[in-house]
Amino acid sequence: MMLLSIVALPLLGALVTPLVSRRSTAMLPTLLAGAIGLAVVSILLSQAMDVLAGTVLIEHYPWLPGIGLSPAFRLDALGLFFALIIAGMGILITLYAHFYFAGKHGAVRFHSLMLAFMGAMLGIVTSENLLFMLVFWEMTSLVSFVLIGFHQDERPARRGARMTLVITGGGGLALMAGVLLIGNSVGSFRLSDILAPEAALTADPLYPWMLGLVLIGAMTKSAQFPFHLWLPNAMTAPTPVSAYLHSATMVKAGIFLLARLNPALGDTEAWLYSISTAGMATLLTGAFIAMFKHDTKELLAYSTVSHLGLITLLMGLSTRMAMVAALFHLLNHALFKAPLFMMAGAVQKATGTRDMRRINGLWRTLPALAVISAIAAASMAGLPLLGGYLSKKMFFIESMNASVTPTLQWLTPALAAIAGLFSAAYSFRIFHNVFFNGKPRNLPVWPPKNPDVGIQVPPAVLALAVVLVSWHAKTVVHGLIGPVASAAEGSVLPAYDMHQLHHIGTAFFMSLAAMLGGLLLYMAREPLFRLYDQLPPADAREIFEWLMTRTGSAAERLVHGLENGSVQRYVALIILSAIVLAGPVLLSGIQWHGGETLTPIDPLTALGLVLLMATAIGTVLGHHQRLFALLLLGSAGLFVTLTFARFSAPDLALTQLSVEVMAVIIMMLALSFLPQTTPRESSRLRKGRDLSLATLGGLGVGLVSFAIMTRPQSTIAAFFLSQSKPGGGGSNVVNVILVDFRGFDTLGEITVLGIAAVAVFALTRNLQLKDRIPQERGQYWASNPHPLILRTMARPILPIALMVSAYIFLRGHNMPGGGFIAGLITAVALSLQYMAGSLAWAHGRMLTPFRPLIGLGLLLACGTGLGSLLFGEAFLSSWFGHYDLPLLGHLELATALLFDLGVFTTVVGATLLILANLGKLMTVHGPGEEIG
Amino acid sequence: MNHLPVLPILLPLLTGALLVTLPRLTLNAQRLISLGSTLAVLGLVLWLGASVLEQGRLVYALGGWAPPFGIVLVPDRLSILMLVLTASLALPAIIYACRGDDDSGSHFHALFQFQLMGLNGAFLTGDIFNLFVFFEVLLIASYALLLHGGGTARSRAGLHYVVINLIGSALFLLALGMLYGLTGTLNMADLAVRISEAPPADQPLLQAASLILLVVFGVKAALLPLLFWLPRAYTAAAAPVAALFAIMTKVGLYAMLRVFPLAFALDQPLATLTAWQWLWPLALATLALGSIGVLGATSLRNMTAYMVVVSAGTLMAIASLGSAEALAAGLFYLVHTTLLTGGFFLFADLIGRQRGSAGDYMVATAAMKDRRTLGILFFFAAVALAGLPPFSGFVSKAWLLQASLGEGVAGLYWPLLLGAGFLMLIALSRAGSKFFWRQSPERDHEMRADRVRFACVLTLVSAGLILSLTAAPLADYTRSVAAQLMAPGDYVRAVHEAGLEMTGGH
Amino acid sequence: MEALYAIAVGVLTTCGLYLVLRGRTFPVIMGLTLLSHGVNLFLFASGRLALAAPAVIGESARPTDPLPQALVLTAIVISFAMTAFVVVLALRAAVELRSDHVDGVDPEEDWRP
Repeated sequence: MMLLSIVALPLLGALVTPLVSRRSTAMLPTLLAGAIGLAVVSILLSQAMDVLAGTVLIEHYPWLPGIGLSPAFRLDALGLFFALIIAGMGILITLYAHFYFAGKHGAVRFHSLMLAFMGAMLGIVTSENLLFMLVFWEMTSLVSFVLIGFHQDERPARRGARMTLVITGGGGLALMAGVLLIGNSVGSFRLSDILAPEAALTADPLYPWMLGLVLIGAMTKSAQFPFHLWLPNAMTAPTPVSAYLHSATMVKAGIFLLARLNPALGDTEAWLYSISTAGMATLLTGAFIAMFKHDTKELLAYSTVSHLGLITLLMGLSTRMAMVAALFHLLNHALFKAPLFMMAGAVQKATGTRDMRRINGLWRTLPALAVISAIAAASMAGLPLLGGYLSKKMFFIESMNASVTPTLQWLTPALAAIAGLFSAAYSFRIFHNVFFNGKPRNLPVWPPKNPDVGIQVPPAVLALAVVLVSWHAKTVVHGLIGPVASAAEGSVLPAYDMHQLHHIGTAFFMSLAAMLGGLLLYMAREPLFRLYDQLPPADAREIFEWLMTRTGSAAERLVHGLENGSVQRYVALIILSAIVLAGPVLLSGIQWHGGETLTPIDPLTALGLVLLMATAIGTVLGHHQRLFALLLLGSAGLFVTLTFARFSAPDLALTQLSVEVMAVIIMMLALSFLPQTTPRESSRLRKGRDLSLATLGGLGVGLVSFAIMTRPQSTIAAFFLSQSKPGGGGSNVVNVILVDFRGFDTLGEITVLGIAAVAVFALTRNLQLKDRIPQERGQYWASNPHPLILRTMARPILPIALMVSAYIFLRGHNMPGGGFIAGLITAVALSLQYMAGSLAWAHGRMLTPFRPLIGLGLLLACGTGLGSLLFGEAFLSSWFGHYDLPLLGHLELATALLFDLGVFTTVVGATLLILANLGKLMTVHGPGEEIG
Repeated sequence: MNHLPVLPILLPLLTGALLVTLPRLTLNAQRLISLGSTLAVLGLVLWLGASVLEQGRLVYALGGWAPPFGIVLVPDRLSILMLVLTASLALPAIIYACRGDDDSGSHFHALFQFQLMGLNGAFLTGDIFNLFVFFEVLLIASYALLLHGGGTARSRAGLHYVVINLIGSALFLLALGMLYGLTGTLNMADLAVRISEAPPADQPLLQAASLILLVVFGVKAALLPLLFWLPRAYTAAAAPVAALFAIMTKVGLYAMLRVFPLAFALDQPLATLTAWQWLWPLALATLALGSIGVLGATSLRNMTAYMVVVSAGTLMAIASLGSAEALAAGLFYLVHTTLLTGGFFLFADLIGRQRGSAGDYMVATAAMKDRRTLGILFFFAAVALAGLPPFSGFVSKAWLLQASLGEGVAGLYWPLLLGAGFLMLIALSRAGSKFFWRQSPERDHEMRADRVRFACVLTLVSAGLILSLTAAPLADYTRSVAAQLMAPGDYVRAVHEAGLEMTGGH
Repeated sequence: MEALYAIAVGVLTTCGLYLVLRGRTFPVIMGLTLLSHGVNLFLFASGRLALAAPAVIGESARPTDPLPQALVLTAIVISFAMTAFVVVLALRAAVELRSDHVDGVDPEEDWRP
């Protein structure tokens, strides 16, 4: 519970702050944040003694054991060390921010985000479950994204924020992969297991991947070369953010991770070289560039980069005492860098700028700040006996003990010295430039405002800390750093020999050289600046933006190239995939003839089939003359009907016939609004492609059909044949299947029809054909809205048709027929009347509430089915009995008949609704009111 | 007997029919009915879920005709998952629609109900031809819904969508013809038995049938190269429709998960199916294309449409591994992605309404009236979608990665999955800063965000949080679903026993 | 007979597919109709071919398999509904896109702001 509260308190605070805060009480968020910080610190301190003595506190909360994702917390010396820095620094920053924002709007947002960040950071350093640590890890990236974009209306802020998110977020993903690999190899995500010697990760074949991925995660977070670019661009954030996230804490997360996993992944060639190289590169780049930045915060940012590089390098060196040096320098860096940032912020408030070419000689106006900065800068420069000096000297010593190959033996120290030289130089610069170096030049704010005392307290405290740490270096190193380093190494280290820091040796001369060299370098800055300006300007932010935009548009082009909005291509792809997928398996030694004896060919049927093919082919050949093609299509449908009839499917034949008529009518109507001809536009190549696709498809279907027809058959049909009469009460098995055995299909089928009709209604409702497409290429559009064919075949049919359909409907259950066919015939008959005459004619004679008809039909069919529920039967269970009725004679009444009535009604309603609304369009300026 | 299984189909059907019967009903009355019915459906499926959890699986023989002869509904754990997901997506969608989208064309609510009927039917049926029928129901309804509101973009996208799906249906019938011709049955359980007993001479044909089915389902599930209809269709659809469509691609996946393990893998491991082996490379390609599309999207909706593609690829890839753990992880992800992408479609619309002519296109305009609230919500929604902690996206991603690690395919799947997340992060951060940070100087938009619409978005987005809080039980459930899927034998047995019971044992 | 029938099915499918791949809505619709004819015949054939054996009790000694007939009937109705819908949609598209090309005049229009 205690460790949980360390993380939970700040996170809760983050949620509460915006709720409780009003603009009026500027003090409240500060107090809240400060209180939480203090609470965390006191919890930590209460455990400090035991933890430093080597006890490891662990709390475990099961959440998703299945995938190893459970919050678990761990407090050991390493975690404590970082947690104290995070929380302690947090308190000072909160105080600083209070004066920095001075109750300005945005303060609340800042404080709540600060707390969220603090919580996340504490989560990282106190996580026991590595997978769950990622939660906090990503959280810090997200919060820093928001904080960097704090001044949303400034373009650099937005870009810097996105750049940070992309780099650190991407690193997070890599880290995730690495962690999962580790967890998979160890079989647990708990550090206790991962750090245990049994884990033996370095022996794992995937070790290079683990190391690489984890490294990417750590390096992106800690701004290691070449991922360092985001850090300077993050300086658009308010200064408290820069001081806290981007110098003291977040950027240390990567280093923490390395220290944390050092026992598990460390002590290998790969580790040594990859990390120390990265560190060295970062160290040099940062130190070099920092020297030439005129913006105080940018200078500090690059110096942070280089110091992070230094610490990383030390982690990599993996000499026995390197860890001590690294952690000690980390502490010093936190102590001397934060006050410098605070100074930069204060100076900016006082003078309105951060440009060191303009800010000069502020020591008169800001004496206190000058003293504070002097101490901090001196420690950064590594002036003797200050913390920075000690840790840097440790670094020089370790760089010489580094167990690298002899050829590199001299290189590391040499480079180290050069880096030290530059860092000394820029340390001198930021101090001397700001506070001395002559008079200020045309500052935006003149005379400089005196900042309130409050804003100077936090840096003062830190400067004091610098002095204390330097004074009691021995105690700090042995009392604090030693245990922490041991925890990081996973084995107890011997006490660091502090005497070598004071004895005059190579290391001493190295630091001396670095210092004096730095001084000289600073003296000679003017020409150097000019030289530097000669270099080609490379603004990382611009490059990044350019990269982003380019990838974006490239992606857009690529995708739109594939998804080009041509349905012809999509359809071709679908057909092609079907062929490519199914083709090979069919060709793989299948024997097409299944063995059944073929039925003999009788000329009549053969003729029908041949004509069927002929009409189909004719439709294709003639499809440029649409009306002609349509007629051929209709006749093709006719031959399909005959085929059904021939092969003993009377119901199908009837249905197909009536559907065909209806379909042709509809198409004909449509055609009267569409171009009468199809332009010949597809290229020969395209035709060839389509033809071959179609042929392959057709070939496949034909062959498969043959293969199936000639194979022996064993189906469930026997059941239907035997049950039709006794169970379904009808002798027309097909109809019984439709309304009884598989009535549910039919229900769905008429629903489809109903929906289609309603959809047509919706489509045609506000469709204005008076603005139909203008004449293109002469006789392109139909002139005659009333196709002649229709007018001729009209009125006499109606009464006959109605009788026929009634008859068909009633007999349907026993003889071919049934509700659907009857419905269609009725509809055909009625609609023919409709087509023949104009709309007004039809309106006069027939009812037109078609939609209710559809609905009622569905309700009736559904209701019939539901009826059986009352008798405890399943939905759609049928019941029937035989009766002798007057007039009609012997008649069988079945619930199926009711169901069929529903079908009939829906079909009539749907068909007529479709036709009516199509017909409505006939009158070129459609009739005002909607039909149906 | 327990009629619960059929009610989630009948209720929306009756509601739809009623709404069609009374075309003169006032819009508010329609809304009331539609809302009520949708709510009731949610209740029903939860209730059904309870009884399924007891018995593991129900078998409901329609018309009292014993399987394999009659049509059966076989709600099992997978069905319940899909049903509940659909209902809980449909509810916010319909509420959102009631704020005005339903007025931009006729019969929105009837069509919406029919759509629900089709979806529920597809998830419940245990008969393959009946599955086809319900596919047609949900398709025709979706055609109409896609075109709801009119406009050139919709007409074109709609035309493409319809043509492509009609071809899909033709292929479906083809496959059914092959299956019936060779096995002589339609009931999936019976089909499974007969296929496993089919003579070797028929095997190639059956395989071909399964591959055609893969194409059919692939068209719906957005599998490369069959998915190109999707982005524009989803971009063009009215927001609530698009939100509901977030489940449509999952129907294709559902059909795969329902048909292949049962009907074709009764006597062999799923992963050895030819169809299943095709699934892996195609799904990976889908995933890649989707994530590039997300990056290249020009409008927020378009981006969301491509996120649907990404999720489809992710899902089919993990499913193609064919292990129980992989399936469980995939199903967890399915719930997450469906609700969030659905919510994001609504969100895109909500934002678009605030930005005047610019709509949801990624250009800077004047500041939105309440960009603060929307911005915060967008931030969290984006975080959840990009799979960052602490939301369900992170959980499912972690699980997906681990599940795939066991299968030794991580080398391909990991980079693509993580890369997709990365590209989404870039795209979303760009969109976010365009919409909420960067403002062109002119006067702020006056439009305020509609509270109810906002609430709908909030509900769906908060799913990201809720799912991660309730991850443990949900994960257990998806595991049980996967286990059930991996044991098709039980399904067959259950249906068979139900058949025997009804025919009195002979 | 089976062979000829199979050929017919194949030809219908081929013609249907070819037309479906055309660029104008009307031929595409005709293609869809032909395609569904082909598919229906295919589905019908899955019950094998039988002359003069309607599945009506008492009509014939060995009635043919009635189930495929029922399926085809359902399929016919559904494809009819779909045809009707797509026809009207094509009309609407032709009016709104100012062209009866399946992709409209310019597939890229109203794609960007």
